[in-house]
Amino acid sequence: MKYLAYTLLLLSAISCQKDIEIKPNSTYEEQLFIEGILYPGKVPRIYLSRALPFFQQEVSPQEVFARGALVTLTNRGVASTLQADSVFDPFRCRWIPFYQGGAVAQRGETYDLAISYNGKSYAASTTINQAKVDISSVEYTDEFFDVYGGHDGVIIQLQDKAGEENYYRFQMNRMIDNDRLHAHTLGDVRSDCTNGAMYPITDLGRTVFSDINIDGQILTMPIEVSFEYKEGDSTWIFMQSLDVKAAQFYKSVDSQLESIFNPFVEPVFIDSQIDGAVGIFGSAVLSDSVLFIYPQDNP
Amino acid sequence: MVLNEDVLDEVVIEAQRSDENVQRAQMGVIDIPVTKISELPVILGETDILKVVQLLPGVQSGNEGTTGFFVRGGNADQNLVQLDEATVYNPNHLFGLFSTFNSRALNNVTLIKGGFPAQYGGRLSSILDVTMKEGNNKEVRGSGGIGLITSQLSLEGPLKKEKASFIVSGRRTYIDLLARPFTAKGNRSNYNFYDVNAKLNWQVGAKDRLFLSYFTGRDNAEYKETVGIFYKILFGNSTATLRWNHLFGQKLFLNTSVIYNQYDQNIETVQNNSFTQVFSGINDISAKTEFQYLPNLNHSIRFGAHYTNHEFLSKGKTEAQSSGNQSLNIGSIPSKYFDELAFYVNDEINISESVSTSLGVRAPAFISNKVEYFRIEPRATLKVSVAPTSSIKGSYTLMNQFLHLVPSSTASVPTNVWVPSSLRTKPQLSEQFALGYFKNFDQNKYETSIEFYYKTMDNQVLFPAGNQLVESFDVDTALVYGKGWSKGFEFFLRKNTGRLTGWVSYTLSKTDQQFADLNFGRKFPFQYDRRHSVSLVGTYELNKRWTLSSVFVYSSGNAFTLPVGRINVANGGSLFEGNYFIYEGKNNARLPSYHRLDFSATYKKRRTIFGKEYDSEWVFSFYNLYSRSNPYFVYFYVDHNENKPKAKQVSLLPIIPSVSYNFKF
Repeated sequence: MKYLAYTLLLLSAISCQKDIEIKPNSTYEEQLFIEGILYPGKVPRIYLSRALPFFQQEVSPQEVFARGALVTLTNRGVASTLQADSVFDPFRCRWIPFYQGGAVAQRGETYDLAISYNGKSYAASTTINQAKVDISSVEYTDEFFDVYGGHDGVIIQLQDKAGEENYYRFQMNRMIDNDRLHAHTLGDVRSDCTNGAMYPITDLGRTVFSDINIDGQILTMPIEVSFEYKEGDSTWIFMQSLDVKAAQFYKSVDSQLESIFNPFVEPVFIDSQIDGAVGIFGSAVLSDSVLFIYPQDNP
Repeated sequence: MVLNEDVLDEVVIEAQRSDENVQRAQMGVIDIPVTKISELPVILGETDILKVVQLLPGVQSGNEGTTGFFVRGGNADQNLVQLDEATVYNPNHLFGLFSTFNSRALNNVTLIKGGFPAQYGGRLSSILDVTMKEGNNKEVRGSGGIGLITSQLSLEGPLKKEKASFIVSGRRTYIDLLARPFTAKGNRSNYNFYDVNAKLNWQVGAKDRLFLSYFTGRDNAEYKETVGIFYKILFGNSTATLRWNHLFGQKLFLNTSVIYNQYDQNIETVQNNSFTQVFSGINDISAKTEFQYLPNLNHSIRFGAHYTNHEFLSKGKTEAQSSGNQSLNIGSIPSKYFDELAFYVNDEINISESVSTSLGVRAPAFISNKVEYFRIEPRATLKVSVAPTSSIKGSYTLMNQFLHLVPSSTASVPTNVWVPSSLRTKPQLSEQFALGYFKNFDQNKYETSIEFYYKTMDNQVLFPAGNQLVESFDVDTALVYGKGWSKGFEFFLRKNTGRLTGWVSYTLSKTDQQFADLNFGRKFPFQYDRRHSVSLVGTYELNKRWTLSSVFVYSSGNAFTLPVGRINVANGGSLFEGNYFIYEGKNNARLPSYHRLDFSATYKKRRTIFGKEYDSEWVFSFYNLYSRSNPYFVYFYVDHNENKPKAKQVSLLPIIPSVSYNFKF
């Protein structure tokens, strides 16, 4: 990827660019986007939204929310209906709607999701049986490299459980304020609804790590973080153990992001895990949290 | 039969009747006179045979401005590009904007795209047979040219009058020298390419002749910013051919060659204090021998063998930057060896005055210490004359290809990697059926043809979606496999003589591919599937001094993958928050069509310097005369002012005027 930059450099020097109108060969039939990850000990939360034709004007999560859907979750033959609810996102200053259940999810249980929306039905199932993993160590790094380039962040080590196919995703809970900007593509987003107050964020890693070919060994995972930080900022770090479907879905999301950034990489199709819809219904088991305090300001 | 220079010259490629396109059984063959190529409009004054090949029926060009070509739905690697029988693995300079062939050193260019005789093999889609000039064996001659970015010089003459001759040609760019005043202090950017062609021709005796030809061409590119960023890309080809022609008698010829060719590419980068290097190379040593037996004037039998030993080298590394020399020791990279051997026989016979046929069989084998592949390739063509100036031809060919070029990017960056067949990566295989009608008019002043073809291609390779080369340098384990189908109709009308010469070509074609691991396993259009392609090429001699030339090309847009839908993943600012694309299929949309008009005017004059006369010419040229913004690629972004996703087209080459000066003495 890096040496392609030379070509891009050359192209940018001698090329010209213009917006063009492209008409798709066919009319896009709107699909339902489902994102539902169950966490043991937490109430189920299913995000439902309408996928839009590509060139349609961007709209907010509230505008594309799939209102009026009937969402039920069944466990051991007991069905419960999830209710529409929302939470305020102080970073973007907007409300994020979803459907939420009342009973907390339990490890070792199987859940069947049924959605009825606009005359169509969707079904998916997940069993929460991933192993809970223990984080061995967390270290700070001011530089590491991956396919996106060089980053600062943290390096997590954990002991993988042998004999299982395991998938891990990073999670960092922390408080930020207007001084801690997004370190990447959302860097120009300014939170103007918090009056400078600290607010909580959950930073989820985009890379899904697997133990394929390194089963049972100590895994070392360099993690890029989303927000700027200052020396002394406290964070709580978790590792999520994803089920295989969730891992496949988020892996394809990550791969697509790479292909969007690099026009020389073949486009990646999102690996939907739900028939007839785009999305995922899966689960994640959180490790115990580890307190991590940034030893320096971000470089 | 008396052996003379003309006979030996023409045994291989040039023995043509003016109506040979109609009378000979072989089909799918187009000869391109090099003298005509030099009169066509060019980019930056650089005459280019591969750009001309792109103007022929059945041939699609790749991206804007590049020399890559795609024949009858085949990928670029399915073209065997040969210079004096030696394979040229990467015939490009300057990221594909120019070919590596210096047309001043060339004698003839022949494209074969179907109905392959058995003496040709190793590629599925075409043979581009390029031969170098042999040198003037009577007197010393020279020619040269000064262009905007290169200069070149050729010298030829007798080593022993009428017995032995030589020709040496060299070309070098001076982009680096021109750009130096404009680069920032501390910025160490450099780009140059050069190529050298040389050939010796020795008539040993009445029955023997020796040729020794050599070619080398290299590109060197460096970009270094004052702090922290450094890129270096080096690549090049070298070939050498020693050929011996022997005449046993009036009916039996022998042509034996020993060939060496070498290709390597080396890419080094330093970015963010990380050093990365990727090296790959191929060294081939070949020997081929061919007998041609002519029992009578209506019968020709060729038979022979061709052996090649391939040596593949590849290695990559990434590590933290240090102050010492971190480059790989190329000599220590372990080699992988593969042998390719083929035997063939081809019988071309005129059965009657109106019916002739060419029947052949080729038996190639590919052998390594892990895998062996043996194949049989039948070849057949049939010609039936329906009138003295017209004929109908049909052909069937089966071809195997043991090497694969995996395209890792859409640009002509030399990052594409050659991969040999293995247990996992099976040899490419194609079958092609073709049917054509050929007719000449006005005593062969005009030649026309229409051809239909249908081709299947098995064991095609691509990288899976999202793959980036540096991530998985063990290419063989990172490939996906599929099939391809191509069908088409081609029309060609060429005017060969008179003040106005040129041709019109039209291609209607459709090429699809299917890979189990791509596009949900469904068929999709080949990236360079272009439904319509039209080329108009004309050269008009206005008077003794001025010659005008023009080229117009039109083709339907390339296929590309357009997202049809969009989902928004809102996740509180996490790194994967954003808009994601929903695709309904790979290559489901078309870029805008491609068209371009080029124009050139050549002023020729005989001049005198130091009392000696020489020919001179000024060439004034306009590439893309009306500055059409042709698509190079398209990307998508969200316009935050209009709050709307948009498509942005990147175009490469606007109108490019150029002037060059050529001389010949």
